[in-house]
Amino acid sequence: MTNALTVERAPTATAAPGAAARRGRRTGRPPWEEPPTPVGQAAKGLTLAGMLAVILVPLWIIVVTSLSSPGAVNRAGGLVIWPDGLTFEAYREMLGDSTVRTALLVSLGITLIGTAVSMAVSVLCAYGLSRPRSLGHRFILVLLIITMFVNGGLIPTFLVVTGLGGYDQWWALVLPGAVSVFNILVLRSFYSSTSADLIDAARMDGAGDWRTLWSVVLPTSRAVTAVIALFYAVGYWNSFFNVMLYMPTDSPKWPLQYVLYIYVNRGNGMPGSVNAGFGSTHAQTAPLSLQMAVVVLTLVPLLVVYPFVQKHFRTGVLTGAIKG
Amino acid sequence: MSTTHPSTGRPSRLSWLVRLRRDRSLLLMAVPAVVLLVVFNYVPLFGLLTAFQDYDPLVGVWHSDWAGLEQFRQLLGDPLFWESTVNTLYLSFVQLVLFFPIPVALALLLNSVLSQRLRNFIQSVVYLPHFFSWVLAITVFQQMLGGAGVLNQFLRTHDIGAWDIMTNPHTFALLVTSQAIWKEAGWSIIVFLAALAAINTDLYEAAAADGAGRWRRLWHITLPGLRGVIVLMLVLRLGNALSVGFEQFLVQRDAVGHDAADVLDTFSFYYGIATGNYSYGAAAGLFKSIISLLLIWGANKLAHAFGEDGLYRR
Amino acid sequence: MGIELNRRHFLSAAVSVAGVAAAAPLLSACGGGTSQTSGVNTESGLKAALPAYVPSTNLKPDIPSVAGGPDVLTDPGFLTYPANPVATVSGVPGRGGSYTAVTPLWGTVPTAGNSFYQAMSKALGVNLTVKPADGNNYNTIVPTMTAAKQLPDWINLPTWWNSNFNVGELAGTQLADLTPYLSGDKIKKYPNLAAIPTGGWRVGAWGDKIYGIPSFSSSFVIAGGTFFRRDILESKGITANQVRSADDLMSLGKELTDAKGGVWAFGDLWTYLYTAWGAPLKWRVDNGKLVHAYETPEYLEALDWHYRLATSGYVHPDTLAGDNANGTTRFYAGKELIQGGGMGTWVLSDYQSGVAANPNFRRGAFDVITADGKGTPRVDMGASTSMISYLNKNLKPEQVEELLAVANYLAAPYGSAEYTMVNFGVEGVHYTRQNGVPTFTDEGKKNVQAQTYPFLASPPAVISNPGGDVVTRDYTAWQAANVKALAKPVFWNMNISMPQWASTALAAQPVEDTIKDCYHGKKKVADVRAAIASWKSSGGDRLTQWMTDNVLNKYGTGQ
Repeated sequence: MTNALTVERAPTATAAPGAAARRGRRTGRPPWEEPPTPVGQAAKGLTLAGMLAVILVPLWIIVVTSLSSPGAVNRAGGLVIWPDGLTFEAYREMLGDSTVRTALLVSLGITLIGTAVSMAVSVLCAYGLSRPRSLGHRFILVLLIITMFVNGGLIPTFLVVTGLGGYDQWWALVLPGAVSVFNILVLRSFYSSTSADLIDAARMDGAGDWRTLWSVVLPTSRAVTAVIALFYAVGYWNSFFNVMLYMPTDSPKWPLQYVLYIYVNRGNGMPGSVNAGFGSTHAQTAPLSLQMAVVVLTLVPLLVVYPFVQKHFRTGVLTGAIKG
Repeated sequence: MSTTHPSTGRPSRLSWLVRLRRDRSLLLMAVPAVVLLVVFNYVPLFGLLTAFQDYDPLVGVWHSDWAGLEQFRQLLGDPLFWESTVNTLYLSFVQLVLFFPIPVALALLLNSVLSQRLRNFIQSVVYLPHFFSWVLAITVFQQMLGGAGVLNQFLRTHDIGAWDIMTNPHTFALLVTSQAIWKEAGWSIIVFLAALAAINTDLYEAAAADGAGRWRRLWHITLPGLRGVIVLMLVLRLGNALSVGFEQFLVQRDAVGHDAADVLDTFSFYYGIATGNYSYGAAAGLFKSIISLLLIWGANKLAHAFGEDGLYRR
Repeated sequence: MGIELNRRHFLSAAVSVAGVAAAAPLLSACGGGTSQTSGVNTESGLKAALPAYVPSTNLKPDIPSVAGGPDVLTDPGFLTYPANPVATVSGVPGRGGSYTAVTPLWGTVPTAGNSFYQAMSKALGVNLTVKPADGNNYNTIVPTMTAAKQLPDWINLPTWWNSNFNVGELAGTQLADLTPYLSGDKIKKYPNLAAIPTGGWRVGAWGDKIYGIPSFSSSFVIAGGTFFRRDILESKGITANQVRSADDLMSLGKELTDAKGGVWAFGDLWTYLYTAWGAPLKWRVDNGKLVHAYETPEYLEALDWHYRLATSGYVHPDTLAGDNANGTTRFYAGKELIQGGGMGTWVLSDYQSGVAANPNFRRGAFDVITADGKGTPRVDMGASTSMISYLNKNLKPEQVEELLAVANYLAAPYGSAEYTMVNFGVEGVHYTRQNGVPTFTDEGKKNVQAQTYPFLASPPAVISNPGGDVVTRDYTAWQAANVKALAKPVFWNMNISMPQWASTALAAQPVEDTIKDCYHGKKKVADVRAAIASWKSSGGDRLTQWMTDNVLNKYGTGQ
């Protein structure tokens, strides 16, 4: 008979760490951990440095290219490694365009609404399928998994969406892709390994399934919830294929990625005008610089949002439950 | 965690109706997702019919001529199809062995970095390549490792012969895996980091107190804690063995020759949709779907054999 | 700074991305569906349907056209823009109708309802909503529109996607038949449309009826040529007329390559060079028998030479790795000195990019050669245009007439008042005159540069590059020097609708892949021979037979 206030220890328990052990330990080694060996340190350091180098060098090249003039790009014959005349022209051109600014707002809207819808649907479904022996959960799971591998094809899906009146509507950008079975499976995996004792204890206190989900399971799985929300948000933020299908000719409704994608293709699909420079400052912005500027702009929101997700990797705390 | 009957210890055998009443909330929770999937994934499945037709998009699925199994017959007799399938399986296997352990190892490595700031910095940098398109990724690789790239120019100026990295079909599997690692490993660690965060640190303390060294702690606490997620990822990856990539191979098809670079997805695209041969592409796609389903079912059974839950419990 | 006044060349360049498709007979594949228009245009039927041709006398070019063989004419060159553009259309063509139009756009989309669109609607007298769609994905967007039967009133369908879009079948079902309005002398009601050469109208003809309105038609269309960095080669004392044979070209390799310095002599040459060995682009008639290019010995000879080139070490490694996207950039950087390219690369923006990298930049092109240096050089002509627009079948006759009047406005010749409006906008708002040359304002650059209206209808192509007149002079000179080499290939300008299996066999993807591997040095000619043999038995021979029975014997060679 367990008390809702106790946390039972088990070898494979995945209950969150107790608050006491984590509190106040920001840097420095925990008292129970051995000092690292010099060999170990060196190996770790080398691996990490290598990893960073392999990623930072290309990032450097991308940033430098985005700041390069068409002459510099053409002299380098492609990506620019050593700066050869820097200019903010690419950024100025894109950010100064009101279409881009409108598209930014559109994207924010779609991402927020889409993520909310997807998370609601996915969390509910994942929890609903995570209790062992619940009626029909295996059947529904199989139903879900099949959709990961079997697809009707582009045109049939298009016909279904437009048949429901989705052409030129925003919901066509959200609903068809709202459910990611992969994400549901991950959530479900975490939920089913939530300690049964916690759930039993909640049941004892008279909580139904909804209450259990809200008060017990969700608070203990903050990390995975944050991660899946991140996955969905990134998916919505970056998507543009559906735009191409359902509103290819309606520019005020375009989200950011699509507008940027068109920017990138400016001159790119037209051989003979590669790096000719286009737009409001004709022949002063190389399409390659624009492309790289687009890449950089894509990364900025991520760099901003990710630290919030990272927080949950450190805490993921089981609030309200005290070690007995 | 047991759901045996409280007094008899045997699995409960409640009636269907009783279970329905007991689990109605759970079922209700699953309804929205199921409805969305039925509408947007199951209804369009009528498109699978095109694999059995001589599909013409202008005429529509319901009026196109029927071709029975003709497309499949042609498919199975097409040496290029088999070549693509063999390539796909080979590349998948190489990636499974070489790529799969890396995100886990990286997550563990990062977790053991003590400085919070350093750890955060590395984490936020390492996932960035996931957001590059494959076109960009290959361009970068070509710039660095290509025939006229930084590495080879360096070798040339020192009178060492150039290394053929980007256009060598024999080492293509290694190249492709390295590219995948560079691009995806950082993003793949996120799920494992979330799992690591959920492990109770008191366990470590207790184990250390009992005299367990760092490797034993890894083996007895960390890995078991990750086991569920690792098995899930493994099963999904095995099920996806036939989808080893598309854009990555499309872009490099010309570099190494289509013998080495054609995989099932590029095959469907190139010899199916791109030439207007929709039915052929649909047949290849259907073939791939069926085999994938068999694979994932098999992988799940395998997981059960090892005592794991896999995708869903036995 | 002006704009490209000869955007047509962009288009033929884009076509050459699709490779040989530019000069191949225009094809449309039929699926298995029941509605199928007739396979080919008949000569007699088409003659009755084709509009008359009344050339425009609006403006005398600075560099006049030079005639070559039958139906071959170089594009006229202009070095100035008229100070006072003359109007060719009196009054306003439209009567207030509302229409939607879709065109592909390779560039940034202007905001809907911008000042230029408004000004154009006023000038045209119709409420024309132009909706540009992404050019690179146009071939995904259009099939969804046709599958859902939701075509707009007016749509541009580039011909290199004819088989993807199944235009032959569309013509019978979703596109409007314009023959009753335009055939013979009826077109004289629209004088600017009558000034478009007949070849352009052939391209939009299906089943002996006129459906399409041509844009940027030309009588000098070839896929491309072999370009070189004229400034760099001339500084080494090499000039174009020193290259008279394939061996001359190969010998330049050693002289120009400096691997340590990062300079290689060659990029990809195959696509625009292989006909120098005497191989046809796709088909040839030998002693009355139809022969495919793959089966000609000349084709394999050409391949052998290119294989030797690829393994010589004089070709840039990135090219051998299949990196086409950056080919032109390598050219500007002087890392590749000789490369094949579409004719669309020889424009003002190319000049500006090159000069930005190197002030001495000058693009040159080798003359059309024969591989052994003997005999008369010959190159196959391409179809008269690759941009055709079509009207929706659901339009009523008055609406069709209204839109044809609008097309007449849009097709006003170079230098006319209407041309100025369509391509530059309103003076003072969208452009100003600088040294007599119309130059865009910021407003103009944003909204007018995008090619939308000209894709619905435009006058025959001209060559004009204000600000880069050296390009106009060089290009017109090259055209004049090579005009005698152009000849119409078999099935020129014929729109052929063929069954799906035939168009797959024609695309011959597996063979083309092996050929590409061969001229990149990865596969030997023997491998290509094997691929061709396998192609023959799995559809190639059947295709040749079908073409002989259904096209050659019934309709001739289109000469």
